Amino acid sequence: MASLTGNRLLIAVAAIAIIVIILAGIYVAGFGREEKPAEEAATPTEREEAPAPQQPEETTPTETPKEEAPTKVKIIWASTQLVPAAEQAFVKGELLPPFTRETGIEVEFVGLGYDALVTRLQSEMEAGKATISVIADLHGGLDLFASKGWLEDLSKFGALEGRSFPKVLEDYSNLYGIKAYVPWLTATYVFVVNKDAFKYLPPGLTEEDVVNGSEKWTYEALLKWAENIYAETGQKALGFPAGPKGLFHRLLHGYLYPSFTGAQVKNFDSPQAVEMWTYLRELWNYVNPQSTTYDAMANPLLKGEVLLAWDHTARIKDAIVQQPDKFVVVPAPRGPEGRGYILVIVGLAIPKNAPNQEAAWKLIEYLTRPEVQRLILEKVGFFPAVEGVAEKLPEGPLKILASGVANQLAAPDSLVALIPSLGGKGGEFSQLYREAFQKIVLEGQDPQAILPEFKRALMSLFEETGAKLPPPDE
Amino acid sequence: MTGRASTGLLRVIREWYKPLLLLAPALAYLGLFIVYPIVDSFATAFFYKGYFSLESVKYLLYSPLSKFWEALRYTLVLAALVVPIETTLALIATLVLLQPFKGRDTAVYILTIPIAISDVAAGLIWYSMLTSKGFINKILLGLGLIDSPIVFFGYEYRDRALLAIVMAEVWRSMALVFIIIFAGAQLIHKELFEAAEVFGASFWVKLRHVLFPLIKPSIQAALIIRTLFAFQVFAVVWVLAGRDVPVLAGEAYYTLVELYRFDVAALYALVIAALSMSTGVLYLRFLRARHLEVGRS
Repeated sequence: MASLTGNRLLIAVAAIAIIVIILAGIYVAGFGREEKPAEEAATPTEREEAPAPQQPEETTPTETPKEEAPTKVKIIWASTQLVPAAEQAFVKGELLPPFTRETGIEVEFVGLGYDALVTRLQSEMEAGKATISVIADLHGGLDLFASKGWLEDLSKFGALEGRSFPKVLEDYSNLYGIKAYVPWLTATYVFVVNKDAFKYLPPGLTEEDVVNGSEKWTYEALLKWAENIYAETGQKALGFPAGPKGLFHRLLHGYLYPSFTGAQVKNFDSPQAVEMWTYLRELWNYVNPQSTTYDAMANPLLKGEVLLAWDHTARIKDAIVQQPDKFVVVPAPRGPEGRGYILVIVGLAIPKNAPNQEAAWKLIEYLTRPEVQRLILEKVGFFPAVEGVAEKLPEGPLKILASGVANQLAAPDSLVALIPSLGGKGGEFSQLYREAFQKIVLEGQDPQAILPEFKRALMSLFEETGAKLPPPDE
Repeated sequence: MTGRASTGLLRVIREWYKPLLLLAPALAYLGLFIVYPIVDSFATAFFYKGYFSLESVKYLLYSPLSKFWEALRYTLVLAALVVPIETTLALIATLVLLQPFKGRDTAVYILTIPIAISDVAAGLIWYSMLTSKGFINKILLGLGLIDSPIVFFGYEYRDRALLAIVMAEVWRSMALVFIIIFAGAQLIHKELFEAAEVFGASFWVKLRHVLFPLIKPSIQAALIIRTLFAFQVFAVVWVLAGRDVPVLAGEAYYTLVELYRFDVAALYALVIAALSMSTGVLYLRFLRARHLEVGRS
């Protein structure tokens, strides 16, 4: 009898154990399946362009005070930006509550990946039943949506009072004959100079030339400068984020290629491109060899391992915040074809036949107010799309950053490069530039032998995805 | 007829249900966490939208972006360097720490600290020590031994980066080997050494004929565990050298996270699994502890 109860107990325990294990397994396996598409959906573009998360404790969502507004409207705002947890907390806890208090409009912020947004919009358009009222996405994505006729023409709402946008942003936001989006946020990549480096400026180049991005601030001058520092101090003072998680490929396709060949992709194997690679090979003699392990330039700058560095604004911000007196942010140098630089534009659009369009426009109006733009800059590090915000910032690290960015935007010879919208193929696009660099500059192979093959691979990415060549290629 | 068969079946069930039940949790565990992932990896690597496809193999072998052969070579080189070095060092440490002396316990604790440090942290520690503005370069510069900092990292210096990886890996994982061997050595009865001494055995004779045969099973266990781990080396390499020194696990991570090639990443995982399993089999075949075999025949 005793042994029987013993058996029962044994059976019960074993059965429970098995059930628990199986359930756990199913849960884990099922969970993994759910995650996969989401991972795929987050394209490299927006991951990389997302600034480093700000330290978030104070931005945890606080309960929105529920005031009964006269007309209770709720709209959905789908965004591929500000998706990381800390940034979403800022959006839901700090950015939106004042808007709801002011207008009585409730906003549901839905952070999602680019591929997920495309799928959702497509199915809504095909079903003829729109649920999303506002979209926030990069220029490339909005361009695609506009080309398919999925966006409302925003000119019907009139102009936004009390703010102005730089011309380059206005121009890009007019697509296929409509005002497709309102520019909301920008981000870019800049050079950072340790002020000590100004002691070794080559003859003919002044500090003002560099800071304001004058005609004389060229890639040739950068080479001379780095050469000078090396001759006088023995230090290879230039640094690039060429580590595996670094954004060095953006320098190649968005800065060097446009500056030397006038295009990102089109002239990939042209004689000017060969010239560019030859230049980079020479420049590399003065680049800190540890660059191939740098993922972000803030630390190498702070440690003094490099005096001149190029990186995404979010990835050098730490250096400037910690030692604002030591560094200046300057525009990129120019090349024979102009001053190529990448501008990341995030725009706000309204899908065709979206519900509550008046409320949606009110949200867009709120999000592009100068003071709101400044709040976003302070909290998540995206730069404003409206003019005049940088000048009004108090002296300090943010102003150093913002005025560097503003100087780059204002340079008359600028050649704006936009990151192509290749979705999941974006990684391969970047990697082809990186691999060309590895073979030509690091391994010393002949560019003429390599470039044609790589160009074919690049072009096939555009054919496979049906994406357009990004500006300035067209 | 059927009645008898069913009673027979019942008897079998009655006889077997208890052992099966006892085995069930282990089987469920193996099924869920070993068999299922392997099957799923195969499916991910070789099937695309329900059809058999060799795209992943094509990428691995022919894509200009693939660093497969280099990664395979570096993984094997690292295992061949790290495992023997750390085993030798662990043996020496065991010999020293078997002698009674004051502070021995403290020494054992200090030696095993690295086991508690995550591999990413270990990589970062070594990176910040060896970087051109790191404290090792600062000390050497301060002592006047070198004129300009020694660069350990970067593509042009990847042989030095390899050296740094070997140092970091040995430092980090020697602790594990040491613990296994040291634990084995502590189980040896003192009487055996005393008996050997009575017969006038020298230090070397005691080592060769008493200690080694008795700790051989521990050494083998440590070797198997460490070699298998060595094929999975990732975080330390990633932190110290990025893709300048590609390794298999690093390439798996890279193709998944940067290129979204789930199939290629799964194929890398399978290559690592195949490498680990075949090495495991070889170890078990050729290094079987002798005392186990004595009991057999």
